[in-house]
Order: sequence, then C-alpha cells, then structure tokens
Amino acid sequence: VSERFPDQVELADLEDRAVVETAPAAVPTTPGEWVRANLFSGPVNSVVTVAVAALAGWLAWGLLHWVFVTADWRVFKVNLASYMLGRFPRAEVWRVWASLYFVVTLAGLSWGASGKRLDWRPARAVGRAVGAVVGVLLLLWLLESTGIWVLIGVATALFAAGTAVGRWAGRRLRRPLLVAWIAAFPVVVMVLQVAGGVKPALWGGFLLNVLVAWVAIFASFPIGVLLAVGRRSSLQAISKASVAFIELIRGVPLFTLLLFGFYVVTLILPPGLGVPTLIRLMIMFTVFSAAYVAEIVRGGLQGVPEGQYEAARALGLPARKMFRLVILPQALRSTIPAMIGHFISLFKDTSLLAIVAGFVDLLRSARRAPAGLEFIGDLKEALLPAAVIFWIVAFSMSRWSQRLERRVGLGER
Amino acid sequence: MAARPEAVPVRPPLWRNVRFRRVVGQVLFVLVVLAVLREMYLNLEFGVRRQGIDLSFDFLRTQAGFPLKESVLSYSPADSTLRAFQAGVVNTLVVAGPGILLATVLGLVVGVARLSPNWLLRKLAQVYVEAVRNTPVLLQIIFWYSAVILTLPVIGGGSLAGVAFLSNRGAAVPWPVTGPGAGLWALVLLGALLVAGAVWRARTALNERTGRPHHRVLWSVWVFVGISGVGYVLLGGPVSIDAPELAGRRYTGGVQVSGEYAAVLLGLVVYTAAFIAEIVRGSILAVPKGQKEAAEALGLSPFQQLRFVVLPQALRIAIPPVNSQYLNLTKNSSLALAVAYPDVVAVGNTIINQKGRAFQVLALLMGTFLAASLFISVVMNVLNLLVTRRGTLR
Repeated sequence: VSERFPDQVELADLEDRAVVETAPAAVPTTPGEWVRANLFSGPVNSVVTVAVAALAGWLAWGLLHWVFVTADWRVFKVNLASYMLGRFPRAEVWRVWASLYFVVTLAGLSWGASGKRLDWRPARAVGRAVGAVVGVLLLLWLLESTGIWVLIGVATALFAAGTAVGRWAGRRLRRPLLVAWIAAFPVVVMVLQVAGGVKPALWGGFLLNVLVAWVAIFASFPIGVLLAVGRRSSLQAISKASVAFIELIRGVPLFTLLLFGFYVVTLILPPGLGVPTLIRLMIMFTVFSAAYVAEIVRGGLQGVPEGQYEAARALGLPARKMFRLVILPQALRSTIPAMIGHFISLFKDTSLLAIVAGFVDLLRSARRAPAGLEFIGDLKEALLPAAVIFWIVAFSMSRWSQRLERRVGLGER
Repeated sequence: MAARPEAVPVRPPLWRNVRFRRVVGQVLFVLVVLAVLREMYLNLEFGVRRQGIDLSFDFLRTQAGFPLKESVLSYSPADSTLRAFQAGVVNTLVVAGPGILLATVLGLVVGVARLSPNWLLRKLAQVYVEAVRNTPVLLQIIFWYSAVILTLPVIGGGSLAGVAFLSNRGAAVPWPVTGPGAGLWALVLLGALLVAGAVWRARTALNERTGRPHHRVLWSVWVFVGISGVGYVLLGGPVSIDAPELAGRRYTGGVQVSGEYAAVLLGLVVYTAAFIAEIVRGSILAVPKGQKEAAEALGLSPFQQLRFVVLPQALRIAIPPVNSQYLNLTKNSSLALAVAYPDVVAVGNTIINQKGRAFQVLALLMGTFLAASLFISVVMNVLNLLVTRRGTLR
C-alpha cells in the first residue's frame, strides 16, 4: 500500500490529527476511506477539494483540448531535425549516428556490467509498458521515414548486445569502462570533426546542449574537488586563492561569464592561439560548474569526522593517499543528491547558448522554428516540445538520483 | 656509552623541514599565480591596443548615444554612458526586488499546499513544482513573452473589470498618487504604527498579569485603522488611487508595466517560487516530530502549534537556502536580454557592441552583481541572526 501512496507515510504526522490518533502508520485501506480521509475529512477540506477540482479540471480540459484539437504541431514535426541538430549539415548526419552508436554501446556495456536487472513487479511493469506504448506512438507520429526507424533499431540492437556482453563479462569490465567513458567525449568530438567533418560553430540543437553539459560535468568535477580540498587547506595562500575564485564565480551570473568567454578570453590567451568560440564557452561553463561543485564537495568534506583524518595520518598515509582512499570516498558519497541536482541545473543552463550570438541550441531552434510564413504565430507549439525535451532529461536525472541515493543508503546511517 | 660528537642531533636538511616546505610552497604558488595573471594582463593590453582601444574607464564619460526601451531613471541617448549603465542597474533592481517579494509569497503558498492534508491540492502543487523546476528559466521567460504576452489583445482590447488593462504591450494597473499633505499623512501613519505597537504591548501585559484574553491583534489593528483614517479625513485625502484610462493608442494614469518587464518578472517569480516551495516543505518536514507532539501535549491548537512551535524552527532551517534562491533570482535577471528588457546586463552588452571595451564593461557588471550578492547575503545573515537569537532566548 505504501507503494501506491508514498506521501502518506512520510506525511502522516502532518495530516489531520484524526489520522494520527487512530493509527499513525496505517494508511486508509478501502477507496471510500481513503477518499474521506484525503479529500473530505472536514468542511474546510471538502470546500478546498471542490475548488481545487474545479480549477484543476478547467486547466486540464483547456490543456488537453489545446494539445489534441487546437494546436498545430506541424511546426515541430517539420523542424524536428533542427531541434535535434541546429545548423549541423544534413549530409554529415552519419557522424552523429556513429557517435550515438558508440555511446549507446558503452551504456549497454555499463548497464550489463553493473549486474542490475529491471524490476518487474506489476506496478513498475505496467508503468513501463504504458510509457513504452506512449513513446512508440509519439515516435510513430513524429518520424515518418522508414530509414530513421532502421537507424533507431540498430541503436537498440547495439544497446542490447552491449548489455549481453557486459553481463557476461561482469565486473572485469569496470576499469576498462571507466577509461572508455573518460575517452568517450574526445572520441565523439573527433568523430564529428575529422576528415572533413563539421566545425564546432555548426554544432547545434539538442546535440549542442548535450555536448556542452557533458564536457562541463566531466571537466568540472575534478577541478571542483581540487578547489574544495584547496579551500580547506591549512596553507593560507592556497585556501585564500580558492575562496576568492569560488566566490567570484558564484557571485556573478553565468551569462556574464559567457560574455567574458565570448569577448575577453581570446584577448587574455596568448595571441594567435585561435580557440574556437564554442571551446571558449565550454571552458566558461566548466569554470562556472567547478565553483559550484567545489561548494558541494566542501559540504561533503565537512561531514567527514575529524577522526577519519587522524586515523589516516596515524596509519602514515601521505596527504594525497589520505584524500584518495579515506576522505573523498566518504565525502563524495554524501554529496550525490546535491551533485546531481547541480548537474541538472547545469544542463538546463546550457540553454543560455540561445542568447549568445551565433549558436543555435535547442531553445534557439525552437524560437526560430515558426519563422516561416506557414507557421507564423505558432510559438506555443514551437516552444513546448523544447520544454518537454528539457523536462524529460532533467526529470529522469532527478529520478535516477533518488534511486542512487537509496542504493548507497544515504540518510539511513 | 661514551657520548660521541656525531650523536648530537643533526638538523635535517632544509628541504626536509615541514615548516620550510610550507612557506616555500606557498611562495611558489603565489608567484606562479601572479605570473599567470601578469601574462594574461599583458596579453589583454596587447590585444586591446591592437584593436585601437585602451583599458581605461574614460569611455563612461562619453555620450551614450543609444536609446533604452524603458528606464525608471530618467535617461536619454544624450546622457553619458555611465548614466546608461546606472539606468540598467535600476532596471535590474526594479525586477529583482519585487521578484524576490512575489516569489517568497508564491513559494510559501505552494510549499504549504505541498503539505496540505488535501490530496488534490497536494498533487496540484506537486505538478506545478515538478513542471517548473525541470525546465530552463530562460525558456520560461521566452515562453511568457512570446507565447503569452505577445498573443494578448492589442491595446484597448483586454480589461479586468474596467480598472486594469492587459495588452500585448504590457499592463496598466491603478496606482496610488500622492497629493498635498501626503508627507504629513506618512508621519501620521508612523505615529499610528507606534501607538498600535504600544497598545499591543499593553494588551499582552494585561493578559500576562490577569489572564484575561488579550485580543491584541484586533486591538492594534483597530487603533491603527482609526488613527490613520481620522488623519486621512482631516488632511483632506492626501493619497488617491489613479486609474488608467485609454487615450488613443496608449494608456494614461495609473502605472504602466511593459510586456518585457512583465515577462521577466513572471518568469523569474514562477521559476524561483517552485524552488522556495520545496525549501518551505523541506524545512517544515525537518522540524523533529517530537516538537509537534509536545506542542499537542501542551494543548495548543493546530494553528498555535504551527505558529509558535513548528514555523519558528522551520524558518531557521529555511533561511540559508532561501538566501541562495534570492541570489539566483537576482543573477537570473540577467536573462532579461532574451526579451530585450534593458536590465544592467543588456545595457552592458549594448555598450560593448557600441564602444568595444568588453573587459571594462564586464568588470563593472561582475562588480555590480558581486555587490548585490553581498548586500542580499548581509541582509539575510542579519535576519538569520535575529531569528536564531529569538529562538534560543525564549
């Protein structure tokens, strides 16, 4: 039962006193009791229920009517490729598919090697089946050419094959996989660029958001950890410098940092280096993220008891080994929720590329989609799919974080 | 065992001495940082000179030469660049201040709704939070602007009960205007507030002495309303409400809010309120269960439990994270550029495009935001201090 009403247990102490007094942990069992306890427990509650039901019904009806009747989704359907790729030359799209296949195979291997299996309890299974049907229907409506279905089929097959191999190889694959994941970004960048490939200036759409978020997450993590350790260093020069850097970055808007990357970074680097704009912006995203990662890791470090440091020193571990083997594993474990929360917001922040001159990310593509005469004024229909794409990524990341938290037993020790 | 001269403790070599190593290490670190910074500065100076400009701030005194779409500060293109920048700062404050206020109110309401015993209300609040939190704020601002505000009727079309007007150019709402005697009435209001406070104290003291119900809220409110009302009548109505009216292609009277401003404010408020709601919910849940049970055991009513036991403790937990949400809102106001509202970053961007000098303008911008962050943090720390002290003393 707690599966169906997870809020109930957690909120029991804040519910009506009637609920608390009769049975603190028990949740009403029959639907009738449940409705009475949760919707009509008193006059005030009943009035609220009726008012909220009216409001929610009105909103839901308006929304559904608009989505299925009024709205003209062709603006999204026609521009789907722009949403995904921006100005990426269509003749070179195979490079994106190749990168996708590489990443999907890696993901399959990791999934298989982790030894996890899907949870087939009825509630989960039904939920998953409904999600799959809706997803497939949506894709069927969206993708009309058969070619793309073959490409998606190959991706699915690669994932499945990766899972099988990973399961067979088991934990032996852990270290090679770690190396592969670290190498994955450079590999993808190469696949996109080598042998007459596509310049970074033309990368766009959802692809651009993913690439920028990816590099910023991976690069900012080690830098952030170093900054956090530096901030807690007993060497005044190092800790003061770390604090100054962290507070400066955290005190200003990301957009001003991006402007700095756009206008000023070329000037402060040695002349003639010619770093592409996108790389400069990626550097700024990384710098921005590192300052926030540092603060999160600092929180984790503060949670490690002093005794752990003393024990490590008593064992004669040098500082580097002490951090790597004793302190950081404990500190980082407790930062998982905050860290993933930060990475989610970093992913959302990649949409700021839309207001930097010359980049066509997912948001900019959506904003430009109704430019043609045919779709003029279809801004809602153009912007909403972009919002949904951002939402799906962010929401699934937060769900994944919750599962991870439970698995490492956070908040239970 | 004869003492051999070699046994006299030999000082370890200098490079083995921990204190020496710490000092040298730090000196080296500082030198490296300074060298890198100097190299960057030299590169910057060289690069800037090649573009035919310099690193001085003199350009702030030259004529700005570009118009601003709107400005609270009086401004014209003939004014100095510095004045344009100041106008941008004020425009940012005009968004951030009300934004913080409104986001707090909405966040509180939604946060409490998230904990309501009513299932439907709880779920509605949850849908709002999950939908808003997981999409970019920039997208939301653009959505409010181009998909909502720009699709409103043209000027003269929409009206709310004939007193406020909505159009695709913004909103016009009634606003109080001050007449003669307004300053005097402000003094009367202040006096009324002081008297009401005294009455509050007196009623509380009476209740503590005799145990009779104090009804201090009722008493103070009536005293305040009475005094200020009498003052208002005696001074002959020093403040009146000015309603907007349609005059040709524009509204006169009341206060007019541009569509760009409304979009930025709406976007920031709706987005930040979702985060504040989660903080409110988390802080209330974080108050130990025993506190509420103890309050209940003392016979406090549900309202009293909330007012005197749960909320004061929840407030203490909530202040630091709410502070960082206020900072986020202020920083996110820089996204106003997307809908061409002339906040300080948009003005800075225009100055860069007009006059070059990106480095100086960005230094100014960052300095402005650091100052704003510092100011908000100081205010919130003072508040935090007040709240925690009150909690521990009583």
